[in-house]
Amino acid sequence: MAAADSPSAALRRRDLCSRGIRLAGKMRADVVDLLDAYVEQQGLDASASVAAVEGVPLAAVERWDEQTGTQRLLENLAAYRAFRALLAQMLEEQREQLGEADAGLGRALAAVLLQVSAFTYHLEELLRLESRGIPGEEEDGPPAPPRLSLFEQKLRGLGVLRELAQWAVRSVRDLRQLAKPSPAPGAAPGLAESP
Amino acid sequence: DSHIQYERVGADVTMKCGSMDWDAAVTWTANGTDIDESHLNGSYLILKNVDLSQSGQYSCYEGSSWHLKYQTYLRVGTPPKEPVLMCRSNNYPKGFYCSWHLPTPTYIPNSFNISVIHGTKDMVCEKDAVPKNRCHIRLLQLFSTVKYKVTLTVTNALGKNFTTLTFDEFAIVKPDPPESVVAKPVPNNPRRLEVSWQNPSSWPDPESFPLKFFLRYRPLILDQWQHVELSDGTSHTITDAYAGKEYIIQVAAKDTDIGTWSDWSVAVHATPWTEEPKHLTTEAQITETTSASTSSFMAPPTTKICDKGAVVGSGAVAVCWTAGLVVAAYSALFI
Repeated sequence: MAAADSPSAALRRRDLCSRGIRLAGKMRADVVDLLDAYVEQQGLDASASVAAVEGVPLAAVERWDEQTGTQRLLENLAAYRAFRALLAQMLEEQREQLGEADAGLGRALAAVLLQVSAFTYHLEELLRLESRGIPGEEEDGPPAPPRLSLFEQKLRGLGVLRELAQWAVRSVRDLRQLAKPSPAPGAAPGLAESP
Repeated sequence: DSHIQYERVGADVTMKCGSMDWDAAVTWTANGTDIDESHLNGSYLILKNVDLSQSGQYSCYEGSSWHLKYQTYLRVGTPPKEPVLMCRSNNYPKGFYCSWHLPTPTYIPNSFNISVIHGTKDMVCEKDAVPKNRCHIRLLQLFSTVKYKVTLTVTNALGKNFTTLTFDEFAIVKPDPPESVVAKPVPNNPRRLEVSWQNPSSWPDPESFPLKFFLRYRPLILDQWQHVELSDGTSHTITDAYAGKEYIIQVAAKDTDIGTWSDWSVAVHATPWTEEPKHLTTEAQITETTSASTSSFMAPPTTKICDKGAVVGSGAVAVCWTAGLVVAAYSALFI
């Protein structure tokens, strides 16, 4: 933890956090626009309730304010890695479904995927700064889910984008917590480890 | 013994005198006043097409002995219309509150029951002591995409009604307006006003959940507002105020990431700094009385119409608002 407490590390953390906040903010804005386009293009009802789909990381969290900095980083990292895979899959499905017919949506999806990848890297940087081992990614990810019907694919896409939009807001909040100056060792917020 | 009877407006009401026979001789009173026999059918009291004014205490006395045989309190009212419900979080992320009212009064007592469901989970909305028609609920989860469903049922003796509200966590976030808004002139700056304010005290954690602000201002004599959006900080300097004009200023707040804008704060008034008045020339005095401005001007000694730089009678165009044309006209006369 010595590295985390040095002034230069603290500055770097603050810097990474504020850049991360801007990244997440932009990502959220783009996801919201993408959501609107997606709903329209796929002929979905914007108010449709989508049951939690397996493999989509839920942003919902209890006792959010009690999380340690490390917990926040790890949960964010796991989520965005999952979104990276899910968005790649959605892009693939898009191309299969529509070919060239819907280049706009495909481009927007690709742009968001890029931002998710960038943010994932950003999170890894923050973890590195804390001398935290970065959890390795599973070799092939979870086993490939059974092939969904076209409609099920669309609904899942909706679920993915909605959760991603929530995560983007949560990430901004998480990074703000992280950016706070570390309190006395042993306290919960910031990057102090819980006893 | 006495009891309460609830009837709908417009209903026909028949009151029996307790266990007295139909053909018994009785006297009915309404709030102590005898009721005319024309309203009686035997010993029954018939009230047709009741209205609100007929609410009151009805008593039935045995004819000769004047023993009180029956007493009831008639309350005329209506079943409830669909209630109006709203939910809002002004203390995010701690929780939210829901408040309600009836669009029209029922004139009789109503009871309210509220249920809050988050997905499949029932949540408890704790009723506030004050105000009465309000309850608050703690947010146990944050960042959930699952919607909340709030159902309010209102019941009274004549019927019931309900309404349902469905929303997600982010949509109801609306802070209270900023507090302690202060606007001050800036010394030696006739076009500036310094505005400062504080986060609403109900917002629990402005450091983790920062607010952004919207400032609006206009001179009292104009209808058009100027707007400034500020992503952080709780102060702002207006630099384009019209010299010598009284301004009205308001601020609103919003969470930086989610929800909607608060209502506007209490309005504050301020006038930019003006120089100590020089001796007013004749032209300026005439201009002051003939200009179209309103009585919102402050008393003459502290008010100047024109900027420091304008000189009446020089032929130069004065940089004044509204009075400019008149001053320029007078200037032209003196060339």
